[in-house]
Amino acid sequence: MLVEPELIERARQGDAGAFNQMVAAYRKRILGTISRLIGRPEDVEDVAQEVFVRLYYSLDQLRTPEVFEPWLYRLSVNACYDYLRRLRRRGEYRMADLSEQQVLMADSSASGKRSDEDAEKVRLREFVDALFRHVSEEDRLLLTLKEVEGLSLKELEKVYRVNENALKVRLFRARQRVLKAFQAAREDGKL
Amino acid sequence: MTTNDQRLNALFAQYRDACPEVEGSPEFMPVLWRRIEKRGSVAYLLPRLARLACAASAVICLVLAALVSLPGLAAPRSTASAATYADALSADHSAEKTYYTESIRATDNLVPADYSR
Repeated sequence: MLVEPELIERARQGDAGAFNQMVAAYRKRILGTISRLIGRPEDVEDVAQEVFVRLYYSLDQLRTPEVFEPWLYRLSVNACYDYLRRLRRRGEYRMADLSEQQVLMADSSASGKRSDEDAEKVRLREFVDALFRHVSEEDRLLLTLKEVEGLSLKELEKVYRVNENALKVRLFRARQRVLKAFQAAREDGKL
Repeated sequence: MTTNDQRLNALFAQYRDACPEVEGSPEFMPVLWRRIEKRGSVAYLLPRLARLACAASAVICLVLAALVSLPGLAAPRSTASAATYADALSADHSAEKTYYTESIRATDNLVPADYSR
C-alpha cells in the first residue's frame, strides 16, 4: 500500500489533511489506470476527480484499511463504466476508436514534428486498442486491469466481488479472443 | 504457454510503457475540493432527491397499475357484494338463532323445581 493504515483511519474520521495526503499518494496511479481504461486523455482528470469525490463520501463504509486499494480500484472501475456509458449515450467514441495517426498528425501540425519513438508508441497503442475491440467493453476493462495494470486474480476478486473461478473463465475467454486477433494480425503482417 | 501467448504478454508490457504518464494539472486538488463541497451541498442533493422521488413514485404507479389491470391479481369479487343488502340480511339467520336458543336454555335453568313436576 502507498499509505499507512493509520492515515486511512484518520481520513475516515474526517481529517482533511489525511485525505489530501491519500489523494497525493494515489493520484498518479489512478490517473494512469483511468487513462488506460477510458482512452480519452482530455477526460482522465475529470474521471479521477470523480473517483476521489466518491472515495471521500464512501470512506465511512470501508470496513478495514487493508481493503483500501481494491476499494479504490473498484471505485475507479465503476467511475470508468459510468463515464463510458455516458459517452455511449451521447453517441461519442473513445479516442482509441479514432485513428491515433490522425491525432498524431493534428498534434504534429500544432507542436512541430514528433520523434520516431513517439510515433512508434502511438502505433503500438493503436494496435493494442484495435485488438481490444475484439472483446466487450467490460472484458476490455477486466483484461486491462489484469494484463496491463498487473492486478492479481485475488485483487480482481476483491475489486469485482466475483468468485475467482468466474473471473478466470471470463479472463480466459477474453484473452483467447485477443490472442486470436493478435495471431491474425501477425499473419497479415500488421505487426 | 505458447509462443504467441508470450508475445502477447510482451506486447501488453510494451503497451503499458507506451501509455503516456498522466500527472494531473496543478488545479487538481482545488477543483477536487470544490467538487466535494458541491456534492455535499443541499443545492446538489435536492435535485437528486427529487429525481429519486419521481422515479420511486413512477415505479409505484406502474406496480399499482399492473396490480389493478391484471385479472388474476385483482381482489376476487365476493358473492355478497353481488346481492342486495336485504338479501344478505335474510340469508344470515345465525345470529338470531343463537340469541333465541341461548335465551330458551337460560329460561329452562331458571324454572323452579316445583314447577317442573
